[in-house]
Amino acid sequence: MPQIRTAYFGELDYSDGTVFQFPNGLPGFEQEHAFLFLQQPHTQPLLFLQSLTNSRLCFILLPILVLDPGYAVSLEPDDVTALRLAPGRPPVIGEDILCAAIVRPGGGEDGEPTANLMAPVVVNLKEQIGLQIIQSGSPYSYRHPIPLGKEVASCS
Amino acid sequence: MKRRAGESFTVGDDIEIEVLEVAGSRVKLGIVAPDSVAIVRKEARVTREENITAAQPVAPDALAALAQRLWTKDLPASPPPKGAIS
Repeated sequence: MPQIRTAYFGELDYSDGTVFQFPNGLPGFEQEHAFLFLQQPHTQPLLFLQSLTNSRLCFILLPILVLDPGYAVSLEPDDVTALRLAPGRPPVIGEDILCAAIVRPGGGEDGEPTANLMAPVVVNLKEQIGLQIIQSGSPYSYRHPIPLGKEVASCS
Repeated sequence: MKRRAGESFTVGDDIEIEVLEVAGSRVKLGIVAPDSVAIVRKEARVTREENITAAQPVAPDALAALAQRLWTKDLPASPPPKGAIS
């Protein structure tokens, strides 16, 4: 079983069937085409998009419905084709597609974490193809504040 | 400045922008500029910059703190993608 050195979780085993292809890479990282999704119990509900070829490159993601349960992504026909989604039927988040926002840990002016809701990472779960969708004229912010949950004393 | 379809304007000495077509709320522009001038949609540029900053490594304790502030919220169930490694 192949192994990968990850940015945050040391060495992990993976199988080829768990690799997601990003044919265009992500803006700023156009040469990175293969990623793994990682999840760890102690960092739930965060998701990690780990590059297969660059162990230091790992995006922190949040499933978009965690931030906005009513979120609607706007896919252009080209996006639907690139993601190999069925045309004419809006894909359902959580069933057909994963839709997740890239987190910028210190994104806000006050250093608070933000998430890019304007340009979510959308993945065809069946085909395992991903794309970052840059929505034009989007009502969503690229620095959406991540709300503070109930304060919990840190005991780790 | 107001322009109609077919009219153009210049930016500096080397850049010319023509309004090719106006249809409803959409405007089609033609841009003539030197090769050295990158022309991208603003949201694409913003996304690129945000991605580069977001990809900077985070300290383990900052990661745990980030997860913790989310974990205390009532979260809707969100299935992981197939094959997510945990």
